[in-house]
Amino acid sequence: MVSKKYTIKNEQGLHMRPAGLVTKEMMKFNSDVSFAVNGATINAKSIMNVMAACIKCGTEIEVQCNGADEEAALAKFDELYNNGFGE
Amino acid sequence: MYHGIAASAGVGIGHIVLLREAVIEYDKDKSVDVEAELERFKKELEVFTTNTMQVAEDVRERIGDKEAEIIEGQVMIISDPTLKTEVEAAIKSGKCAEQAMEEVCDTFIQMFSAIEDEMMRQRASDIHDIKTRFLKQLIGIHDVDISKVPAGTILVARDLTPSMTAGIVKENVVGIITEVGGVTSHSAILARALEIPAVLSIENCTTSLQDSEEAIVDGDKGIVITNPSREQVEEYEERYKKHQQEKKDLLAFQGMKTKTADGIEVELFGNIGTPKEAQTVVESGGEGVGLFRTEFLFMDKSSLPSEEEQFESYKEAVIAMNGKPIIIRTLDIGGDKEIPYLEIQKEDNPFLGYRAIRYCLDRPEIYRAQLRALLRASAFGDIRIMVPLVTCMEEIRSVKELLKKYMQELDAEGIAYNPNIQIGVMIETPAASIIADLLAKEVDFFSIGTNDLTQYTMAVDRGNAKVAALYSTYQPAVLRSIRTIIQAAKAEGIMVGMCGEAASDRRLIPLLLAFGLDEFSVSSSAILATRKAISEISLDKAKEIAEKALQLTTEREVFEYLSQNMQ
Repeated sequence: MVSKKYTIKNEQGLHMRPAGLVTKEMMKFNSDVSFAVNGATINAKSIMNVMAACIKCGTEIEVQCNGADEEAALAKFDELYNNGFGE
Repeated sequence: MYHGIAASAGVGIGHIVLLREAVIEYDKDKSVDVEAELERFKKELEVFTTNTMQVAEDVRERIGDKEAEIIEGQVMIISDPTLKTEVEAAIKSGKCAEQAMEEVCDTFIQMFSAIEDEMMRQRASDIHDIKTRFLKQLIGIHDVDISKVPAGTILVARDLTPSMTAGIVKENVVGIITEVGGVTSHSAILARALEIPAVLSIENCTTSLQDSEEAIVDGDKGIVITNPSREQVEEYEERYKKHQQEKKDLLAFQGMKTKTADGIEVELFGNIGTPKEAQTVVESGGEGVGLFRTEFLFMDKSSLPSEEEQFESYKEAVIAMNGKPIIIRTLDIGGDKEIPYLEIQKEDNPFLGYRAIRYCLDRPEIYRAQLRALLRASAFGDIRIMVPLVTCMEEIRSVKELLKKYMQELDAEGIAYNPNIQIGVMIETPAASIIADLLAKEVDFFSIGTNDLTQYTMAVDRGNAKVAALYSTYQPAVLRSIRTIIQAAKAEGIMVGMCGEAASDRRLIPLLLAFGLDEFSVSSSAILATRKAISEISLDKAKEIAEKALQLTTEREVFEYLSQNMQ
């Protein structure tokens, strides 16, 4: 498993649009991808789970990828994060 | 015969199409073949996803990107693996696809509703919408497709929702009837924009009116006649023809200059609330925009619009004007216009309180974003800035100082703007009217806001039925105030316009012409009728009427005299 911590910088947190982008991209990988956030672990491929976690601006999340293409999945997340999730 | 509120003028004769809300019912205890049910769910989900994507595309073409994004968000929710896995698990436990879908969606709806966040609550309503539409598809309930109703349709619904109205084809719908809504409801505004006659607020109309029944909608009187007699149909056909003829006559005024019968030219502008309507004003023959209310940018949102977002909107509007002037009013909130996230506290006298320019000068960081956005957009056309609710000189001087400061900022950043941008005052308080001679030396133009001017001059709350009768622009006090304002502007040689309801009132047009009003700003749908009314009177006649009207001492006398003189 590989993991890395991020602090969400999007003004309105991971709302519909960024959450949709993340889940859509993560679904392309075979590895399990989850976020450890606010004491819970959620499936990063489920937009409902990601939105329901209500991840606000300034929240720290740990991205955990587990599987054959875990490195690639984390690298992709890194790229999305650095692009501000398209915002 | 049914009586309701006359919400959109004109008459329509046609057949009723009922938009009833479908009842979703299915047998919860039916035994299912798990494999077959899973297969059925999979297939229906694919169809549903494709259809939803199609709707999003449709909305993008017909309405806009923002609205389409909402529906695209629904596609993301449908494609969610958690949702799919849970529905499948429920089917495997022996439930039918309908029940499985309903239960899983309900769990998510509860989860999202419990979160103290406005955006998450919106997701709850998205999931509710998905659930309803998916269940309808599974059960085989077909909603009436509004975009495909036949010619001569009278739509009958409890209320018209924005998604319904998006599909209306104006050529096929001759009338609208609803159970709820008043003159300012969404349904009414839409009906007027599409020029479809409408009668609203007819109780139980979705149950008392029958599908495919013949009916007459009289949007002038606010009545609906079902199964009309031959005489009634003939009478209304006559009226319909007259209406059409009047509309056709008005088209002759399209693209013409706005002139009195003796050739005195005035300017005729339109009032708008969104950038898209700028186009409508131009198409309706408007020579400019006399009032762009910017509140829309701040309403229906959960946080402040950024400078960038505002800039894009103002730019869109000014580009649509294609060089014609556009007067943009800065944020006019408070009073009856509430915006939750601004957290303006409830006041005992909101109309006399913390609102409009008073609020903006107190919150410079909010005002800065708007003024900078306006300055930046002024590089793309003739934007003029109008300040609402001014009561004293300090307010307008403060705005001018702020603008000077932001111009320097933009200079330093190398961003273009129009350094000669015009600044004006919306005259809508007795204080501004009384010091109009002083204000005229300080600004480039005036625009008279008759709605608030009447309310403040008469010290009357127009929402209070016990005193609302005092609220009338025909009151001698209001007419004298308007005359003072126009004279003050003339004395300093600045432009003076009017952007309230009064500017399109055929009774008042002679007075406004006689006083010397330069610019009339009216709603898009009233532009041609106003141009026609102005063309029918000479300045001499107008002056004669004004002189007599100003000698009358009561509102009733003024109203009756002006009504007699209406051509």
